[in-house]
Amino acid sequence: MRFIIRHITDKIFTALTVLSVVVLVAILAVILTPILWKGFSAVVFTGTIEFRKMQLDLFNRGDIDELNKENARSQLYRKKIYDTIDRFKQNIDAETLCDKAAQICRTFGKELQRKNMPGAEYQQLRSLSREIRDKLQIAFNSSNKKIVDENIKDVLKYKTDIRFKDTSAAELFAIAENFAADIKNIDLAKRQEYAYALKEFENITVKLLGYNPSTPVPALKMNRYGATRLNIAKKILNQLLLLEKWEQTSPGKPMVKISTPRARLFAGTEIEPLFDYIRDNIDEMLIPKRTFYWQYLIDSSTPGHYFGGVGPEILGTLLLTLASMVFIFPIGIISAAYLAECPSDNFIIKIIRMAINTLAGVPSIVFGLFGLAFFVLYLVPLFGGPSKPCILTAALTLAALTLPVMIRASEEAIRSVPQSYKEASLGLGAGKLRTFICVILPAALPGILTGIILSISRVAGETAPILFTGAIAFGPMPKNAFDPTCTLSYGSYDIAVGDRLASLVPHNQYGMVATLITLVFCLNIAAIIMRAKISRKLKGQ
Amino acid sequence: MEYNKAQMNTEPKTDNRSLALTALEDFKGFAFYHLGRFSLFAVSFSTVLIVLLIFFFVIQQGLPFFKNFGITEFFTSKQWYPEAGEPKFGALSIIVGSLYVTIAALILSVPMAILTAVFLSEIVSHKIRNLVKPVIELLAAIPSVAYGFFAVLVLAPFLQTEFGLSTGTNALNASIILAIMALPTIISVAEDSITAIGRDLREASYGLGATRFETIFFVVIPAAHSGIIAAIVLGMMRAIGETMVVWMASGNANQIPSPWWDLTQSVRTMTATIAGDMGETSKGSPHYQSLFAIGIILLAMTFLLNIVSEYFLASAGKNSRKK
Repeated sequence: MRFIIRHITDKIFTALTVLSVVVLVAILAVILTPILWKGFSAVVFTGTIEFRKMQLDLFNRGDIDELNKENARSQLYRKKIYDTIDRFKQNIDAETLCDKAAQICRTFGKELQRKNMPGAEYQQLRSLSREIRDKLQIAFNSSNKKIVDENIKDVLKYKTDIRFKDTSAAELFAIAENFAADIKNIDLAKRQEYAYALKEFENITVKLLGYNPSTPVPALKMNRYGATRLNIAKKILNQLLLLEKWEQTSPGKPMVKISTPRARLFAGTEIEPLFDYIRDNIDEMLIPKRTFYWQYLIDSSTPGHYFGGVGPEILGTLLLTLASMVFIFPIGIISAAYLAECPSDNFIIKIIRMAINTLAGVPSIVFGLFGLAFFVLYLVPLFGGPSKPCILTAALTLAALTLPVMIRASEEAIRSVPQSYKEASLGLGAGKLRTFICVILPAALPGILTGIILSISRVAGETAPILFTGAIAFGPMPKNAFDPTCTLSYGSYDIAVGDRLASLVPHNQYGMVATLITLVFCLNIAAIIMRAKISRKLKGQ
Repeated sequence: MEYNKAQMNTEPKTDNRSLALTALEDFKGFAFYHLGRFSLFAVSFSTVLIVLLIFFFVIQQGLPFFKNFGITEFFTSKQWYPEAGEPKFGALSIIVGSLYVTIAALILSVPMAILTAVFLSEIVSHKIRNLVKPVIELLAAIPSVAYGFFAVLVLAPFLQTEFGLSTGTNALNASIILAIMALPTIISVAEDSITAIGRDLREASYGLGATRFETIFFVVIPAAHSGIIAAIVLGMMRAIGETMVVWMASGNANQIPSPWWDLTQSVRTMTATIAGDMGETSKGSPHYQSLFAIGIILLAMTFLLNIVSEYFLASAGKNSRKK
């Protein structure tokens, strides 16, 4: 019995260890899959005509003739929407209609004055026109259909009157006729609600299709274009078709989301069929095409990363990496050489080793503090530089942070060179320095390269140390080493938490992080492969 | 080519040159050797210099705070209102918040890490081990900001909708991600120390009829305990010093969770406070100095942990060398 229990415990334990590894792999997959998958969609997606318009306007990219043709085709379908909205808006807006009638009446009066009519006739026409105006205004303001009908009928009686022919007053009748025709399907009592619902409808349409061409161009770039991607267009379309409301069904219970067709708000009106129209013709209006937007990697972006890509961030990351490698590379290799070649029981070596370990353990944010206090506020001003965060200070801070990685990897690489190499070289009469440079260093180079790659990946990914020493969320490309820069790492933070606008464009959020992870992973995988090769080579000897 | 050159240099061109070096040549060689060695040493010593500079500058900026405001309030009060008219600098809940998420992260990660380390060193063949190792390396390579991104945009909404929490950015979220981040460190150090235990111990145990579980649990792990402790301490260092993840995922609410086991409340950590507040301070203000004071605490904590880990690593090294 005890034997069985022991065996079962053994098996359970083995299963647990296997499980933990499976969980480990699963964690990696769970973290990477959404980020990389959604990030991928920043580059490969179905773009709409709005995307191509944006590319042409902001980045001067694309075929103008082709776009004009497409635009003409899509406007053909869009026109109906704009026209219907305009008319509907006009008819439910009593105030504007009244103003318009009054305006026409006034013009008519002036016209009469100019005609030099006899006084009596003038007076008569003037009062008649005023009467018409008043009746129209009553009709416009009334929510009772009967009153409207009566008044409009009264007005239209004068339509055939010869005295109004070819005068500006004729417009009054046109308005009256239009109004009479259009309101047949409108519940006049709900004019306020219509106006509110229409406003919302219009806003969503602008988000979907871009601003109405008859209105002025919006000042903000982000408002100039409709849905640039088909998946966003579908989301907005859904928003357009369904009205979502959070309602409390009974007290004390959590709110429930209830969605009803938005078309119901406009039941019976001309707007109602528009919903089906938009749904059915969305492809004709947006002309989606498969797009491979590789320029994502070089484009700069509009504020909030709403449009455009991660060009400045990639450049900033590369610059920062390069600048810090300038410091890390020589110091790292020399320190590693010193540590590897000198007897290790030395007191000074022990101190250096301890310093490296301490340095590796210092929290990255403390490096940020140190970089701020030392490089930004002390060292750079000491040499006459500007006392502000910039690429140089960020690179120095990152170099201090990454030094242990470089030293450890290089030292290991140098130590792994077989002793016989060194002995052979020394035996041939070469000095220590020559032996190191001509024999040991080339042999250790792949390992050192691994260390360099790992340091680069660390530098590229670190965020906390550069928070106060040179990273900015958004800005122009840096001109020299004394400018701050955007980086992928700080950008990833900002786009996830700092920037409310960016949450509207999840593909750009994920795109930035996916770029960072891809960069770091490519470097790390290269390092892993290189290390595997080295170890195979060393085993072969 | 290289060989020929070397030969030409070592063989004297003139025959009548004596083999013995002149005094000047001897001195030159001596001077060059020691000068070279010294310059190498000087460069290598820069690491020590950086460490000293870090300590010096952080302490120099942070010490005035302790002088002006005293230590008692900082460590005992929960009131952190650095920008108020009468500023209050009670960092208790911030320090507790740091320890809170760190310990929670360790509770989550240590069992799994040790199981994985055992799996890699004791159970599987070399081939599978070589397949799993890159996974661990990649987990370690993911930038912390990417982990933070995942915490905010994927994990937080998931926690909020699936568990009905009021907010997805809380101690639980931060602890989970910190646990994942600490895993690679703990696994690799623990695995090294378990592998370093000699075959003789294992063979003796198996020879006495112990099962694999008994061998690992009662022989191997006790023998490797100092390495495993060092691994845990290193993981703790990683977790306590992590900034981006806790800043993004912990919710940054200045409170101590009550009841104390309620992980679903938001907390605030030392690192996140420094990262979040530094942008609002002006140089030399009490607020600015207080952030450096927090930096001193962080530095002291990690330095202590570092010494502890080195002690255990050294004793682990001694143990395995004894065999």
